[in-house]
Amino acid sequence: MIALRARIPLASAGLLCAIFAVFFVLPFAGLIERGLGEDGAWKAISSDTALDALVLSLWTSTLSLLIAIVAGTPVAYWLSHTRFPGKGVLEALIDLPIVLPPTIAGVALLTAFGRKGLLGGPLDDWFGLTLGFSTAAVIMAQLFVSAPFYVRAARAGFASVDAQFERVAHTLGASRLRAFTQIVLPLSWPSLAAGAALCWARALGELGATLIFAGNLQGETQTMPLAILNTFESAEGLTAAVALAILLLAVALVALAIFWMFSSRARGTA
Amino acid sequence: MTLNFNAELQLKDFSYNAQFEAGNEIVVLFGHSGAGKSLTLQLIAGLLKPTRGRITIGAETVFDSDAGLDLPPQDRSLGYVVQDLALFPHMTVGENIAFGMTGSAQEQRLSDLLDLMGLNNLRDRRPLSLSGGQRQRTALARALARETNLLLLDEPFSALDESLRVELRRELIRLRSELDLSVIFVTHDLREAHLVADRLAVFDEGRLLQFEGREHVFRQPANGRVAELTGVANILRGRVSVVKPGDLTIEAGGTILRVPEPRNWHPAEGDSVEVAIRAERINLRRLDVNEPGKANLVGATIREELAYGATHTLRFTTALGQPIEVEIAARPYEVMGVAKQKSWTLELPPEDLHLMPLSSKSAVEAPRASATTA
Repeated sequence: MIALRARIPLASAGLLCAIFAVFFVLPFAGLIERGLGEDGAWKAISSDTALDALVLSLWTSTLSLLIAIVAGTPVAYWLSHTRFPGKGVLEALIDLPIVLPPTIAGVALLTAFGRKGLLGGPLDDWFGLTLGFSTAAVIMAQLFVSAPFYVRAARAGFASVDAQFERVAHTLGASRLRAFTQIVLPLSWPSLAAGAALCWARALGELGATLIFAGNLQGETQTMPLAILNTFESAEGLTAAVALAILLLAVALVALAIFWMFSSRARGTA
Repeated sequence: MTLNFNAELQLKDFSYNAQFEAGNEIVVLFGHSGAGKSLTLQLIAGLLKPTRGRITIGAETVFDSDAGLDLPPQDRSLGYVVQDLALFPHMTVGENIAFGMTGSAQEQRLSDLLDLMGLNNLRDRRPLSLSGGQRQRTALARALARETNLLLLDEPFSALDESLRVELRRELIRLRSELDLSVIFVTHDLREAHLVADRLAVFDEGRLLQFEGREHVFRQPANGRVAELTGVANILRGRVSVVKPGDLTIEAGGTILRVPEPRNWHPAEGDSVEVAIRAERINLRRLDVNEPGKANLVGATIREELAYGATHTLRFTTALGQPIEVEIAARPYEVMGVAKQKSWTLELPPEDLHLMPLSSKSAVEAPRASATTA
């Protein structure tokens, strides 16, 4: 009786887990099944549209990540090492794009940097510089929605390094920069790597903000997710969209695998 | 190398004030936790900033509030072993030790240090895989690798077992003379303090109560609090009845005690005073042995006994009206048959009695021991 009573919750928990797992696995299975089963998939993958979109997606998302790292690392370090009134509010603001629906991000970017935006207006009037609906806009949209993932992870990573290590490094003659590069960076590396991977993946998948702020021009602002959306609504329909989706998925997986390989090797030798 | 330290620090619920200097010697900062010992090291190293003061290391002033000078820790020339060691976990023993090295022949110096500390086989190991003693030796080697003349050690031997402690203390004393080191050594362990100290600085609640040669502090504590902290079991209260040059008579509970005149102050007749005597300094005498001319004999009865194996601690009620604690080695304890006899005469040798002013709470200005460097 006692054993039975113990088994019932265990069994139902197991069942729930299984259903949950199926929910996540099945869509991928569907993608593969559709992609392999239909003609026209290869045609869609080898089209100019697909190639242009893939190339654009890869280099813009990588550039977004680099900008996030260069600008976000000092911000994250500063936030993890200082205390001041209103810090919580500032951190919440930095995290805001994570919870913000991407379409809202797109509209917000447009009102700031669009042709008639707060900064975009004067830029256009005085310098003839238009940011909206350009490749620059693609990167800005990606950066806006993805950088907080990196900053957030880096902040947590830096904060997790015992401050005593840095203090001791200083007493051993290390400058702030040396203490950072030789002590803090290697010790927070796992967090930084995870944050960078998340940031890049988020930039790669960016759709809503890009669509509104950068538009959907092949070769210029049409990234892979936009191309998939476009294809889905076109004559080729679902089959071609599935093919592109698999392509993007495969590239993303390979990129992440390479990234983890390098980062774990770096961790091993650090 | 001389360290000159003078700092004042005001925190929200703690105030700190201390002044001392250290030459080529081991200065032990002694006191309970929270007394300000570790804080002193942090002030010297530049990890904490004094509210006011002036700190010089050798010829270099590293902090001077009047001049607005405050060198960052990386520009202060010293080796510092913090209490939690803080070995860099992602570096090997060798990399940890070499971290603070500057100048040439680093490879040679690294292998010398590994030799010195007995870490040769551990060079490529990570700190997490080391024992407590190995970690402490690594941290010590890392601090020594700075090749400075000032070494700050915060409870450096706390994680070691007794045999390793003895070995490292001996090592430290050797290094001090070989490398012309000034060592500031923090400990709350009285035995350790006694063993390594050339001079002893007794801290209590952010104040430096006494700073003198080790024997002075142990035998002639500046006040009751220092006596208490340095393990003086008996602090008797009395009143000065007769003052003669070099010799005083104290009346305590109707008994007369002869006490030598203290070095640093001059009690007057009628003053209330405290008299310190260590438990191991008191002689036990049989009641029937009569020795006329012996001073400071007090009738006493054993109230409580504690056996520690090598020694016995006896607690007496006495004719002074104040309890007295006596420590006696196991052998005389047996020979004299203490276990069977309750009533004794206690002899308090005058030369072991130390007179202190009353009001033990007030911090007495530490006499600057100028020429007592051992």
